[in-house]
Amino acid sequence: MSAIAEAVADGKLPGRVWMYADYHCNLACTYCLTESAPKSPHRVIGRERMLEIADEAAELGFTDLGVTGGEPFLLRWLPETLASMSERLPVLVLTNGTLFTRRLLASLAPLAHRDVAMQISLDRPDPDDNDEMRGKENFRKVVEAVPRLVDQGIEVRIATTVESIEDSELDRLCALHRELGIPDEDHIIRPIVRRGRAIDHDLGVVAQQIDVPAELTVTVDGAFWSPFGPTVHDGVVDTDLLITRTTRPLSTPANALLRLVGERPEGSDVSLNIR
Amino acid sequence: MPTVRLIGAEQAPLLARPFYANGDPGPIVASLAQVPELLDVAIPFIGTALGPSSISWRAKELVIVRTSALLECRYCVQTHTAVALDAGLSREEILALRGEAPIDSVFRDPRELALLGWVDAVANGRGAIPGHTTDAIHGLWDDHEVVELTMLVGATMMLNRFATALQLPVAEDTVHRLTEEDLL
Ligand code: SF4
Repeated sequence: MSAIAEAVADGKLPGRVWMYADYHCNLACTYCLTESAPKSPHRVIGRERMLEIADEAAELGFTDLGVTGGEPFLLRWLPETLASMSERLPVLVLTNGTLFTRRLLASLAPLAHRDVAMQISLDRPDPDDNDEMRGKENFRKVVEAVPRLVDQGIEVRIATTVESIEDSELDRLCALHRELGIPDEDHIIRPIVRRGRAIDHDLGVVAQQIDVPAELTVTVDGAFWSPFGPTVHDGVVDTDLLITRTTRPLSTPANALLRLVGERPEGSDVSLNIR
Repeated sequence: MPTVRLIGAEQAPLLARPFYANGDPGPIVASLAQVPELLDVAIPFIGTALGPSSISWRAKELVIVRTSALLECRYCVQTHTAVALDAGLSREEILALRGEAPIDSVFRDPRELALLGWVDAVANGRGAIPGHTTDAIHGLWDDHEVVELTMLVGATMMLNRFATALQLPVAEDTVHRLTEEDLL
């Protein structure tokens, strides 16, 4: 058993390896960590590389894969790639849920009843409030897409990213996700993190290394401590949570991460519930 | 202006953070921090090669200033002129090492002259070291010292080209001190 596999099995290292599929997005949310927008540099990691990472992660003893961006579904080849990746390890893909046209939904057929879950952002139970930070029509597109995905046999989770939310508003949001077919255990609520565009809008909580789980995250720029690491501010990728520029072989950043985890006080990522 | 962005403490990558623990780590660390895994091994190596060891501080600074002068590295010449003063070298010795006065008008010790001949041959020459230079150092320095001093020349040359190519800036207090000593 490799040192990584042992650390994952012992719970010392989180089991999921994340990858940033891209950095561009059809939306431009106020709190976006990566300053993503339609015209952002794409920084696409590439299909081949994603499959390689999936292989290497499985060989090293990681247990799960995560795909984020940008908006990963802007990449036409993503559904097939996710299907192939899921043959190695279960995959969670983060999406804004606004691109699921009939055509894209049809292209998701290979994902039905596979180990691929989608995590879709939905912040507020009222369209106007939700769309204020995420852009026009966001709410409508998401509430339309979720039941369709569920009907297609795709596991969906809802992620709510807010500074704060009143109990009554949360109750209505939970009623809505249940109505859309998403059970309570698949709804996560997390704070806005003060990185990327959130800094410019004076939003969110400061998250440092100590506040976030050590989930190995690979991008075109290197390997990072967490998916909250390779954020962008003023067009420059942050390096404060960079581990190594080398990502191939994956054992290089994985071993460096393991070393860094060993130097960190135990249980230190629970304070902000950033997951 | 440096050729690359120098990384400040706020953006210091995780493996680089220990190097920022005591304040501004200088531009070699701040540039190498762009590639943390390289910084992580390079700085301990540089520290071992250039730092305190079984060779005297004075001998090491002779090697570093001379090599840096031969490679015309402004950053290393100025930075190590200040270190050489701290190590007890005189102004005249430093000027000679920098090529601003003849070496043998200032240095008389045969061991040091053999060492400087070795440095010149290693840093400035191409191909094999001339036999008389090898004989001279062999007679006066032990094998382990020759190994360490040769590695010191090599490490300095690496830093010389790195600092020159990336146009690393000399620290302001060093410039101030050298101005006062008329050694800029
Ligand atoms: S937060 Fe997500 S959906 Fe919004 S702009 Fe950023 S990447 Fe796109």
